Amino acid sequence: MIYQLVVPGQVEDVEEMRVLEWHGEVGRVFAEGELIVELETYKAAVEVRSGQRGVLRRVLCAPGDWQKVGKPLALLSDDPAELLPASPDALAPWLVNFEIT
Amino acid sequence: MSSDAPQLTVKLFFREAIARALCEEMSRDDSVIVLGQDVGRFGGSYREFAGLYERFGAARVRDTPVAEASMIGLGVGAAAAGMRPLVSITYMDFLMLGLDPLVNYAAKARFKTGGQLRAPVVVKTTAGAKGQGVAHSQCIEAWLMGVPGLKVVAPSTPGDAYGLLKSALHEAGPVVFVDHKRLFPTAGEVPLGEATVPIGKAVVRRQGTDVTIVTHSWMTTVAADAAARLVPEGISCEIVDLRTLAPLDTPTLCASVAKTGALLTLEEGQTTCGVGAEVAFRVREALGTSRVARVGARAAPVSSNPVLEAACLPGAQTVIDAVVRLLTS
Repeated sequence: MIYQLVVPGQVEDVEEMRVLEWHGEVGRVFAEGELIVELETYKAAVEVRSGQRGVLRRVLCAPGDWQKVGKPLALLSDDPAELLPASPDALAPWLVNFEIT
Repeated sequence: MSSDAPQLTVKLFFREAIARALCEEMSRDDSVIVLGQDVGRFGGSYREFAGLYERFGAARVRDTPVAEASMIGLGVGAAAAGMRPLVSITYMDFLMLGLDPLVNYAAKARFKTGGQLRAPVVVKTTAGAKGQGVAHSQCIEAWLMGVPGLKVVAPSTPGDAYGLLKSALHEAGPVVFVDHKRLFPTAGEVPLGEATVPIGKAVVRRQGTDVTIVTHSWMTTVAADAAARLVPEGISCEIVDLRTLAPLDTPTLCASVAKTGALLTLEEGQTTCGVGAEVAFRVREALGTSRVARVGARAAPVSSNPVLEAACLPGAQTVIDAVVRLLTS
């Protein structure tokens, strides 16, 4: 199954975040609890950790890019060979835990 | 490069626009220093001074005690001695403690010494209500507009915060730079290369034909919300963002009201002797008859209770109601 990793929320006063750093390239397997990406709000960093096991397939927002809360940052899948769709719109959300530091 | 080339921009948080303006000016001019509470290693209450301490060191980015009169006094004295200090007063409410050195010394230094002394100090302070109660929420920028020798700017976007702060740091006399708690979560486009925004120039944020809404700072966002919601009602609002409160850009205000024939002033502070009172008088003085109304806070302290805070302050619905009343009166 293919999933979209979206900017997590809700965070008070935050409508969009900026990508600070990806912790792994396309093809990396993330286990539950592993740090996938760090984001930045107007006053804090946000660590986004994987809530399930799977493969990072496509990064949609590079470091420095902005994305709105709830909008996709990347595609992941259970199986590395699954065909990616043209649009992430209908995909299920990738489970995450996030921490504001 | 041809003059019609598009201006390249980069999207920054409001705090980053302030930090960048300071970083550029501190790099260009060794006399620019920063004084304030938690401006050093901590990087400022809103992280708007982040990176400056690491780059320019403790001698130029100085933490001060919680003593606003002394902080501004120190800044004014340093300015008169040849420095260009930026004094950070975290909440505008506490600017009251430093009004004596600012009003009686900085604003008058050039006049009273026959031009021998000047005090190019920038006092940066944060106005506005966001859950912090009676003495941490006020917008008292109107108090400063009638002080000869003092300039007052109040940007509403990261781009203007960047450009106006740079201009303020080039001024020959004192400038109060007023930002707002609710602007810090915002982000916006800032010129990629160095640029300034001139002091004394308002800007038309939205073109319209039925009514001119004159506002500044965070209320520009509230005005934009109201204007968007009035479109389905068939009402076209023009929004003028003052950007500078002293000196007022009367020609831009008059040009807009001459076109629309109606003026609504909008501010978060009190309407009595407020920014809008001055704006409305100047426009009426120049244009003669035009319909005028003003919107601001209720004549009550701003509570830390969020329900009472919201009840005290103008929101988009207040503006919508006032516009409709003005146009149907």
